[in-house]
Amino acid sequence: MLSPPQTQSLLAAVVALAIAFSHHPSTANDAVLEVPDAVAKAPAEMKRYAEPIEHTELAIEMVPIKGGTFTMGTPESEADRNEDEGPQHEVTVDPFWMGKYEITWDQYDVWSEQMDQRRRQMLSIPASPRDALVDGVSKPTEPYTDMSFGMGKERYPAISMTQHAARTFCKWLSAKTGRYYRLPTEAEWEYAARAGTQTAYSFGDDPEQLDDYAWYFDNSDDAYHEVGQKKPNPWGLYDMHGNVAEWVLDQYVADFYSQNPKIKNPLAIPSTLYPRVVRGGGWDDDPDMLRCGVREGSSEEWKEQDPQLPQSIWYLTDAQGVGFRVVRPLVEPSAEEKTNKWDNTAPEQKDPVE
Amino acid sequence: MKLENESRGSSRREFLKSSSQVAAATTLVAASAQHVHAAEDNTIRVALVGCGGRGTGAALNALSVDNGPIQLVALADVFETNLKSTHTALSKHKDVGSKVDVPEERQFIGFDGYKKAIDCLRPGDIAIFATPPAFRWVHYGYAIEKGVHVFMEKPVTIDAPTSARMLEINKKALDKNLKVGVGLMCRHCKVRQELFDRIQNGEIGDVSLLRAYRMAGPTASAAVPPNTTDLSELQYQIKNFHGFLWLSGGAVSDFLIHNIDEACWMKNEWPVRVHAVGGRHYRGDMIDQNFDSYGMEYTFADGTKLLVDGRTIAGCKQEFATYAHGSKGLAVVSSAAHTPAKSRIYAGHNMDKGKLLWDWPEREENPYQLEWADLIAAIRNDTPYNEVERGVMASAVTSMGRMAAHTGQEITLEKFMSHDHEFAPNIADLTLDSESPLKANTEGRYSIPMPGLVKKQEYL
Repeated sequence: MLSPPQTQSLLAAVVALAIAFSHHPSTANDAVLEVPDAVAKAPAEMKRYAEPIEHTELAIEMVPIKGGTFTMGTPESEADRNEDEGPQHEVTVDPFWMGKYEITWDQYDVWSEQMDQRRRQMLSIPASPRDALVDGVSKPTEPYTDMSFGMGKERYPAISMTQHAARTFCKWLSAKTGRYYRLPTEAEWEYAARAGTQTAYSFGDDPEQLDDYAWYFDNSDDAYHEVGQKKPNPWGLYDMHGNVAEWVLDQYVADFYSQNPKIKNPLAIPSTLYPRVVRGGGWDDDPDMLRCGVREGSSEEWKEQDPQLPQSIWYLTDAQGVGFRVVRPLVEPSAEEKTNKWDNTAPEQKDPVE
Repeated sequence: MKLENESRGSSRREFLKSSSQVAAATTLVAASAQHVHAAEDNTIRVALVGCGGRGTGAALNALSVDNGPIQLVALADVFETNLKSTHTALSKHKDVGSKVDVPEERQFIGFDGYKKAIDCLRPGDIAIFATPPAFRWVHYGYAIEKGVHVFMEKPVTIDAPTSARMLEINKKALDKNLKVGVGLMCRHCKVRQELFDRIQNGEIGDVSLLRAYRMAGPTASAAVPPNTTDLSELQYQIKNFHGFLWLSGGAVSDFLIHNIDEACWMKNEWPVRVHAVGGRHYRGDMIDQNFDSYGMEYTFADGTKLLVDGRTIAGCKQEFATYAHGSKGLAVVSSAAHTPAKSRIYAGHNMDKGKLLWDWPEREENPYQLEWADLIAAIRNDTPYNEVERGVMASAVTSMGRMAAHTGQEITLEKFMSHDHEFAPNIADLTLDSESPLKANTEGRYSIPMPGLVKKQEYL
């Protein structure tokens, strides 16, 4: 019996509410929401924790992923392998926590619809320093349509957002919690998806077993499903295969594995809008697109039906199988490292001047 | 990396079922059409009045129709920033950039820009109207006088007097054989057209109930915060036009019209009366005139009902769809937003997969493009084409539901059409320095509807 994603979250939410209502006196670290289990100085101290989203009933469950070295890419012998999955090469990634599930609509809407601030204002709770910080993060323009396309909200995965929107959500979550969240790199994502295995899928090479682990073309009934319904991978991550393909930080560079000598925390910093990488495949994909090593690049067609021009920087009308999950590195990078590497992306995404 | 040239998550199952990649709608139009519009060459020139996101998108759709030479020659807007961004977006567009010829002297800022833009056209060219709908009748009257064809976005009217006026103006368009498209693009969707035929042929039996929903979070500019900008009251209202009834008819007219229209289409008539509920719950500091939820019950002449729910509250159940129930079963008119419609028919009233009687497995063409293919084909082939009456009726029926919610009264279509409250009687004379037809009180707030207290008109 799998635990539904938000049972533990309730406790965390109660904690968050307690904090919200306590108006504790200012401390030096008011910009950080206190979550004892989220604190770790060394890899050995990393625990599972639930990141409460203040002023809501929600939390994001995080799983520790110990750093290490793994073989990235797929062997030439793997069925359905594409050229861009090689050459296989050794990659080292530093420790991080990763979302146990894809980000759900409920979690996503706190940012996109400002659910937390709406509730705070209705309850006449004064703004904390964190609320003030969150105020400075941009949010999407109001959509014209139901971006869940009738497939369900709440605990279903959030979809149809551009990589820019997913990145901005992470920026918001960082401001809101005082802990640094971002999208995973392609390398971190593959490392976590493989979870110590070397096979096409984290459970072996046999696509026949996919039904137990993933929502995909043959079993999804033409829609995504609530997160966490299938079996997790060996490291306790759900839906890494299928349900929705997940944004990572990287530009899609077909020959990145051969032209990239840096084997520690690699990242292809984006310099063009397309293609950028999504990983893991989604509800509309066949088994080959769900493999740990498969790489997919975004394209302009993902916005084909947006009737506005210029098209939105936030929404992808035609990427109903694309979502994301977040990571948090054990060691928070310096401001300079963030600027130069982790948050670095071009071209700049700006809404049209109103 | 995936090589299939397709959008992600628009079902590949449908994609594979279609025997071949759907040709762009535009190539279905015979390119060898006889060129009858009065000009020394067969280039259709286009002027865009209203350079917001949708207007710019409409111009892109127009320039994408590939059945003869077409060129964008003039732009008009009241905001220079809109005009410039539209010009940039279109002139640099990889597919249509070469069809954009709008030098500075054909870019017009101001409320009279529409005249100057239309004056750049010859009879037989096309004017696109995508400003807030309040201005539609003003622009349309001038276009007809000048003998140009028109594409106008929906809604086309937002109150009773201008609805009657629009129908009057349209008589001249019919006399002059001008082609006029209205942006109710769902009517151009091939899937819905087939569903309509099937419903008319009795496949769901006698139609006994229709339901339409647009329940979403905050949408577009329906909720308007206080003006802390440098913009004048008038400019600020125009920037946030969904918030003000005189400009747009508010959230009801702008957001619900498509679903109401497609429901009435399937019933193949307009309702005769309506009553409605609605209210303002989470309005906080917002200064707009909208309710945040609406529930309307329309009645057709035979007593059949159309139920419509509209909501713009974050965090609640979302649904954006239209249904028709008949004595034999259920038709899904549209499933989620406007496209793809995924129209289908079931035996019985549940969407039970085992009882699916009909659906459309092929990939659906984009109706925003189809409506343009149809309009330009009519122009090049000189076939009758005028969607104004339908556009006015859809707009009026939608406004009537809004009025029922805002006044708390039952309203008949007959009564509505003779109603005398015109929201912006002096709109034709507005200039950039004018006062707005809607003025704030001393607290910076606007008159909102007061059901039961203000019954003779929607707001004071």
